[in-house]
Amino acid sequence: MIRFFQFISLVVVFVMVSCSDDTNPRLDEQSFTKLYDNNKFNSSYTPIDIKQTADKGYIIVASRVLKESNYRGIYLMKVDSKGNFIKEVEVDPMYVNPVAKFMGLQDEFYFFCMMELSQATQLVKISSDLESIEFSEVGKRYPFAGNMDGNSFVLSTYDDFNKLSEISLVNSSGGILATKSFSIGVGEDIEEPIINHFIKGGTQLPFSVGRIPGGAYYFNGFYNYTFSLVFTDFVAEDPTGVVQGQQEGGGLSAIMPIAANKFAAARFNFGDNFIIPNATLSSSSITSSVNLGGNTFPELVPNAHVRIIHASINSKNILIYASDTKSSQIGLYFYDESTGAFIASEYLGFSNPFEIASLIQTEDEGLVVCGTTNMAGRFPRPTLFKLSKEKLKAIIN
Amino acid sequence: MKRLLLSVIICVLFVSFADAQSKKKKKGSTSYNIKAKEEQKFLEKQWWLGLKVGTNLTSATIKTPYSSVVPTNYDPSFGKKKYGSFNKLGSQVAFEVSFYFKKFAISIQPTYQHSRLMYTNQYLWSDEEDGTNTLMLNYEQELKMDYAVIPLLIKFDLTETKLRPYVQAGGFGAFMISADKSLKISGVDNASGGVNNFTNEPINVVATNLYAGHYWGLAGGAGVNYFQGNVKFNLDILYQYGMTNVSSPENRYSNGMLASVGDAQDDMTLNNIVISVGCLFPLRFLGSGFKSVDK
Repeated sequence: MIRFFQFISLVVVFVMVSCSDDTNPRLDEQSFTKLYDNNKFNSSYTPIDIKQTADKGYIIVASRVLKESNYRGIYLMKVDSKGNFIKEVEVDPMYVNPVAKFMGLQDEFYFFCMMELSQATQLVKISSDLESIEFSEVGKRYPFAGNMDGNSFVLSTYDDFNKLSEISLVNSSGGILATKSFSIGVGEDIEEPIINHFIKGGTQLPFSVGRIPGGAYYFNGFYNYTFSLVFTDFVAEDPTGVVQGQQEGGGLSAIMPIAANKFAAARFNFGDNFIIPNATLSSSSITSSVNLGGNTFPELVPNAHVRIIHASINSKNILIYASDTKSSQIGLYFYDESTGAFIASEYLGFSNPFEIASLIQTEDEGLVVCGTTNMAGRFPRPTLFKLSKEKLKAIIN
Repeated sequence: MKRLLLSVIICVLFVSFADAQSKKKKKGSTSYNIKAKEEQKFLEKQWWLGLKVGTNLTSATIKTPYSSVVPTNYDPSFGKKKYGSFNKLGSQVAFEVSFYFKKFAISIQPTYQHSRLMYTNQYLWSDEEDGTNTLMLNYEQELKMDYAVIPLLIKFDLTETKLRPYVQAGGFGAFMISADKSLKISGVDNASGGVNNFTNEPINVVATNLYAGHYWGLAGGAGVNYFQGNVKFNLDILYQYGMTNVSSPENRYSNGMLASVGDAQDDMTLNNIVISVGCLFPLRFLGSGFKSVDK
């Protein structure tokens, strides 16, 4: 019995030694869920994109409701590596309609927006601490989307005077290096979904722009009466290739080039959603998105917003799709990048509704998912989910 | 760290004390059945075994508060959690083994302990232009925790009477068995054309992984034994002072149902007031008729 007491004493000593009462800052950085609340009844913030800064914190670009404008205003927020709020900026309401992507170049961050009155496109440069915000006018109107192209940017815009979809190369000062324009078609009706896209409360279409690595440029937008993926080399007057949609009712909802003609894509078709993790798209011929097939996802909301990133998890190349489910969660779908095989899914958010804005792989090989939640079921607010490296490993294994 | 060292020293003393008793026992083991005159010496030693049940009350000491709701334009203290203190009854059942020697006893009491703790917080949204447009949400969370607690205590009898009060001190280790958490959200909506008091369906979740697997603490208290025949009836009050974090930092936000509505587990220590009654039976030195020779 005495030995029993000795054994128990040793157990107690072990428990004492093995317990830690210290909060671990590293763990606080590795995973968190944050809902950024503003107590103003009429405030409404909808994140668009997120970037990680050199200090391991994050900057969120969001739109905000402007009572006095038909457009959406700009809201910027900086949080630290643990998701703690650092600073917010409600940008002057003369600047409206911020668009993805939010781009990093050296130590500065950029995105495109437009002037409320003139609809002139602006290149916005912000510092990582949000202390500096500079605007450079780009000689275009109605920006749809932006993306990086080396040390410059590729920009998709709308020329409402001539009813043209435009793609431009822009330097970091806002100067236009090259432009190509393509007709959206003739007639008033074709312009309506574009105008609705810009007006607050209107249906948001999945405009995007980018470049196949070392290859053709592309934009996802209106061309020849349909919402299409249009390829150009900035030389030929006509597109080098087109993946046609079905007017504004069908087309590609997200696209990410992997190599040459290989893409990770998603498409929508009159409410239905399809994920195509291993799509082959020709940048030199005319095809139709309907023929791409894909895995149907009836759990997603009609014409769902879809985001795709490449991630390296446990030394594997993974495609992560994020989208909005009918159960008001953010669904994450993991695919093998080389084969397109489905690996796993993960759902974020319960109780209150959640919608995807963007996702990025972080410096610590975790994943940050940025979205919108409706606090108390009614107030749109930015939200962040940080998934740790270990969590991602567990998901794909 | 100082507290940890102090506690380790206490434990080492426990071990040394037990070891010393062991050696003493071996030294005298050849003679105590032979010499009646030494009976009194044996009467001073006894093993006791028994069962105790009772209730407990819990409070928390918050080391670092956490929430998934991050205010951007108002004072975070508004949504701060307010913990109830020793206001929810729990229950426990314990198996006690103790060795008594010359008014001192060393006691180990493996316990199944069910504890409850609650806290509240609230959120308010208001319209700057129309002050009557407000929405208030009241969150009421209840934690239910089941631990295997192993207190190791030294007791000292204050008297040698039939009704024998004692004091006790020592430490304990607590091992998480399971935990549940419920969240009830109610509110007042003044922005829907009238005063709308509402209560949502509560969220009930298994929350075991929100907790560390184990924690330890110091314990002290008092009690009284009443000797009746072979057995002693016991009333015991023990204060358990938690020394280490009971939460799991890794899993703080792992429960999506809670994190999505703003709740996150604080880093905290637990303190318990444990009140028990029980009876203990002697294991050794029984005389004829199973009577304890020290009675």
